[in-house]
Amino acid sequence: MRLPRFKYSGPETLEQALDLLNTHKDDAKILAGGTDLLVRMKKGLLKPKVLISLKALNELSYIKKQDGYIKIGARTPLADIIASDLIQKEARALFQACEKIGAITIQHFRGTIGGNILQDNRCHHYNQSDFHRSGRQACHKDGGKICYAREEADRCNSTCQSDGATALMALDASLILAKKGAKRTVDLADFYTTDGIIPHAMESHELLREIIIPLNGAQSSYQRLAYRSAIDYPIVCAGVLLKHSSKNEIEEARIVVGAMSRSPLFLAQVSSSLKGKKLNDTIAFKKAADASMDSSAAFAVHNVGATLEYRCAMVSQMVFQALEQAAKCIKG
Amino acid sequence: MEKILITLNINGQYCEVMVYPNDTLLEVLRDELDLTGSKESCGEGACGSCTVHMDGKPVRSCLTLALEAQGVKITTVEGLANGDDLSDLQQSFIDHGAVQCGFCTPGMLMSADALLKDNPRPDDKTIRKALAGNICRCTGYTKIVEAVAHTGNPKDHCPDCNTRSNEKE
Repeated sequence: MRLPRFKYSGPETLEQALDLLNTHKDDAKILAGGTDLLVRMKKGLLKPKVLISLKALNELSYIKKQDGYIKIGARTPLADIIASDLIQKEARALFQACEKIGAITIQHFRGTIGGNILQDNRCHHYNQSDFHRSGRQACHKDGGKICYAREEADRCNSTCQSDGATALMALDASLILAKKGAKRTVDLADFYTTDGIIPHAMESHELLREIIIPLNGAQSSYQRLAYRSAIDYPIVCAGVLLKHSSKNEIEEARIVVGAMSRSPLFLAQVSSSLKGKKLNDTIAFKKAADASMDSSAAFAVHNVGATLEYRCAMVSQMVFQALEQAAKCIKG
Repeated sequence: MEKILITLNINGQYCEVMVYPNDTLLEVLRDELDLTGSKESCGEGACGSCTVHMDGKPVRSCLTLALEAQGVKITTVEGLANGDDLSDLQQSFIDHGAVQCGFCTPGMLMSADALLKDNPRPDDKTIRKALAGNICRCTGYTKIVEAVAHTGNPKDHCPDCNTRSNEKE
């Protein structure tokens, strides 16, 4: 498969990159690793006139602990995150998620954490070749007015299958977005728009610069289910964070279910139901897992592989396993 | 759109090539430099048959722009053997019947070679994890895993097997 034509520019500094983005706006796309972008371009889903490469911007590749936060540069390769002791100890869910993304051959150089968060939503009916799509009317995401995943749907039902996003949302992360002359911080939960066509609340001249994870002594876990152990998107995934008090009671819980909707689902009500429960209360975990399944089933459509019934049933399993594992980590 | 002159360091040799911005490293290797060992199969990073080394780490050449492959040491499957003298890993693939149609073999060799440089005596689980990104539709993987395990540890792995890689010793 050939890539469509584009102009390549490789800025040397962040300022130059932001300048270029400001000039080209919608015509430009940022190229970090390219494992999502180049595939979409090859399939004709995207035809940017300019690609702005972050290859020379080593200033965007770092993992550091600062002022009670873990700060990760957006262009940090997944392999660096997996190898980091800090992430393994303090943000286990992110470590587990990154380990599952792509394969070793994608985690070096190419796959970046920023790219994983910003990957576009997917759908079996949309992520197809030009030729396949040319045989039928365009769907919502392709500029048409039809949804092949859910009959008579008035909007796009594509699914956010990012491993990193689900884990980071469980960790209550926020993002720093930069544009020429300004930057802003946005909560990851607000960053996802729940719109299948434009899944991220980000302007075309903005660039993802940094990911911030608060350090609060909590334990986290990430579980995912996919057909293949490598190079596959999850069909269901769950990220969980548990913070405990001195009496071995849960003080705060965050349950996030991914790959079931247009954005990762933070289940606030289910999460708060775990407050005050003991860490070894398996029945409460089971109840929360079943409630997660009920809450997320309403959003899912049959568009990423396995049958809907199976995916919904597995939500409960993934959440339960993640809760058990996080509780086990706290107990040591 | 104009072609751009780039310099690539491939298998220890510097090559100057004119490329378009939308040329992938794989296309340049195969079409411009006649290094047809690396294969294109899925073209979207799922199968691993285009795997090459960049600075010793395995990467997908179908998802790497040729423009972005400058300044690193690239090794393709042609760079594994020394002339006609196959590397131990390549010989072990032949001896164990790990090659059937052969299309995935260059990618498998490159992924396995990177693993063996990091970890000369990997166990089965480690080998399977390192090769998880490569698809083979013929062998069922067992022979490939055996071939890699044998290279790292010929005596303990199959002391009785009468393969050329054992005879060498």
